[in-house]
Amino acid sequence: MSKPKLLWLQSISCNGNAHSFLNHPELFSILAHFELIYHPILETNYLLEDIIKKRVECDVLILEGSFVQEGFLKAGVEVSTTIEGYAKRAKHIITAGTCATFGGIFKQKEPDKISGFAFNIEEKTVRYEEYASKLISLPGCPINPRWLSFVLLMIANGKKVEIDRLHRPVELYRYTVHMGCTRNEYFEWKVDAKNFGLKEGCLFYEQGCQAPFTRGSCNKILWYDTSSKTRVGTPCFGCTEPSFPQSSLFFTKTNMGIPAKMPLGVPRRAYLTLTGVTKSFKIKRFSTRLLEYDE
Amino acid sequence: MKKIEIKKLIEKIEGEAELDFTFIDGEIEDVKINFGFYRGVEEILRGKDARDALVITPRVCGICNHAHLIASVRAIEDGYKRAGVKVNLSSKARDIREFTLACELIQNHIKWLYLTILPQLERYVGEKNQENYALKASYLSTTITKALAIFAGQWPHSSYAVVGGVSCDPTYLDVIQAQTLLEESILFFEKVVTGMSLDEYLSIKSITQLSKIGGDFGKLLYLIESSDMANIGKSHDRFIVFGDSPLSASAKSIGTLLSSLDVRYLKESTQENTMAKAVEYKKRLYEVGSLSRGMVAKRPIIRSLHKRYKDSLLTRLFARVDEVGVLLNICKNLLQNLSLDEPSSTLPLNKVASHFEGVGIVEAARGSLIHRTKVKNSKIVSYEIITPTQWNLSHGTKEEKGVAIKAMVGSKSVEEATFIFRTFDVCSVCTTQ
Repeated sequence: MSKPKLLWLQSISCNGNAHSFLNHPELFSILAHFELIYHPILETNYLLEDIIKKRVECDVLILEGSFVQEGFLKAGVEVSTTIEGYAKRAKHIITAGTCATFGGIFKQKEPDKISGFAFNIEEKTVRYEEYASKLISLPGCPINPRWLSFVLLMIANGKKVEIDRLHRPVELYRYTVHMGCTRNEYFEWKVDAKNFGLKEGCLFYEQGCQAPFTRGSCNKILWYDTSSKTRVGTPCFGCTEPSFPQSSLFFTKTNMGIPAKMPLGVPRRAYLTLTGVTKSFKIKRFSTRLLEYDE
Repeated sequence: MKKIEIKKLIEKIEGEAELDFTFIDGEIEDVKINFGFYRGVEEILRGKDARDALVITPRVCGICNHAHLIASVRAIEDGYKRAGVKVNLSSKARDIREFTLACELIQNHIKWLYLTILPQLERYVGEKNQENYALKASYLSTTITKALAIFAGQWPHSSYAVVGGVSCDPTYLDVIQAQTLLEESILFFEKVVTGMSLDEYLSIKSITQLSKIGGDFGKLLYLIESSDMANIGKSHDRFIVFGDSPLSASAKSIGTLLSSLDVRYLKESTQENTMAKAVEYKKRLYEVGSLSRGMVAKRPIIRSLHKRYKDSLLTRLFARVDEVGVLLNICKNLLQNLSLDEPSSTLPLNKVASHFEGVGIVEAARGSLIHRTKVKNSKIVSYEIITPTQWNLSHGTKEEKGVAIKAMVGSKSVEEATFIFRTFDVCSVCTTQ
């Protein structure tokens, strides 16, 4: 049986998802399941000009970058025309990254014209209906390479990927970024990080961390099996969410001293009750530096 | 006089560019370089909180995002200082930033060598390619990027450099892991790239010793030499380095004549028919990047090559691969001497400046990257980004042709000229930020 043909097309992009995937520790065994038709970095048998001017067969289409209907030409052809031409033929469409999925950062230049391929933030675009049956969303700015390899290998193995209403694989996006964070105990006991550059303390209360209400497996599947933003003390900026990027990313917005946005699905009353309880205790281990505490 | 015009789409240069060649009597007389879509990151930043630039600007570029992060944190820190808020980085924070930045440069140069230069050159000279160069590129890139991620959390698009330091708080557990990954990368440089030990490589001082270099670098030098390409691709022979870094101090070099510079004399202007803006320094065009850093730092082997070949394709190619060796050595020293006892961030959380103007300069893989931010009431009122590719790929002025264009002029074929173009390690997305 011949291998599925894989095509990677870019629209308004920074190339970040392509570079992220290129650093996949098992890149070549994953690619061995496919015939690579075109990729923005790797050598391929076709030139981009061939892809644009002819119609090459394609089974799996990966889209990177925000979508604009008019005004972006490659080799004299609107990028949107090329993308839709291949989207019609492909059996699977994967929007890789927040730009291709929801519009992302580059949408902010011209919010009325620029969007994701099938979603405009959370709204369905005019293209949605036609492609919905074969669409998988992989938001993230950029995506973790293992998220993409998971979807690619499920497709290669003929398995169905379970998705949510925004077409995100549930196995990747039912987790919050908070799950698996090494600072979880500080969150539980409501101990904030006193500054940047400390391994102790939670970044949710002062530094703007969005991990408790952001969907993504960043702390389950680490970057290059190594680390994550919150593990190195950087707040989560919610880069997998339709609303990314919001503003004032290093501040926690609060109402009367309480974070304005609650952890996913947690009622405000429940949060306040727990906070009241935990704050009534002072626990030495959490107010001492991690490597200095010794009972 | 016979005039022919040829259009060519150049791909896999972090996006694409379209080159319009004008041939007169079989020789390239002029080239127009056109980049596609302007994404407007500078406009997107307007009205946002000053520190949001640390999250937004890395997204200019998938391959040199980390350099954008460092440039943007330096711009804010410079602004804070000018506004009277003291920012004294600990040497630990400074060293960690230099380390992660060096890792990004290494992955960039290695990808360029294996994914662009070697395959394109072999195709051009008709050498049959039997190798999976991509495997080598990915291996080294993954290894060194893991070392980066130990401190920065992820790559691309980390925002771990915060105003006043870095957000990470590493322990020896982290440093030892990073050292192991670095040693693995050095081993790759020794066994695969050069066929000699790093120390031995770094002791090479003159072109008489170049024949000692084996590995893929040796193969590259052999292919260039044997196909008579060493002398092509010469440009203005002017080099500029704006950022102070472990690689070189900030200065300019006209030929080998060094002099100091002032960022105020730098001028940016829009160009016709392209989304890319051009930059000049005191009305003259300069090359930026590894070659410029090697020239300004008076690195003996670069000066020796320059003496024989000037700013030719060979010198330019050599300087970029050579920098990998230099950077690996810098990384080794940085990790060995990292003082973990110091604070990662020295600026208290509530200490912010709300009105300021600052400039941040960094030596990115392709050369000097400059960010300028102007902030009022904590909001960005203007943000300006000048990328290395803008220097190397400008159309030029009335008086002189752009750096890369000058290097291509006189070439007799589109294939050769395209290869010269690629030796500048072109980044399309940075040019049209």
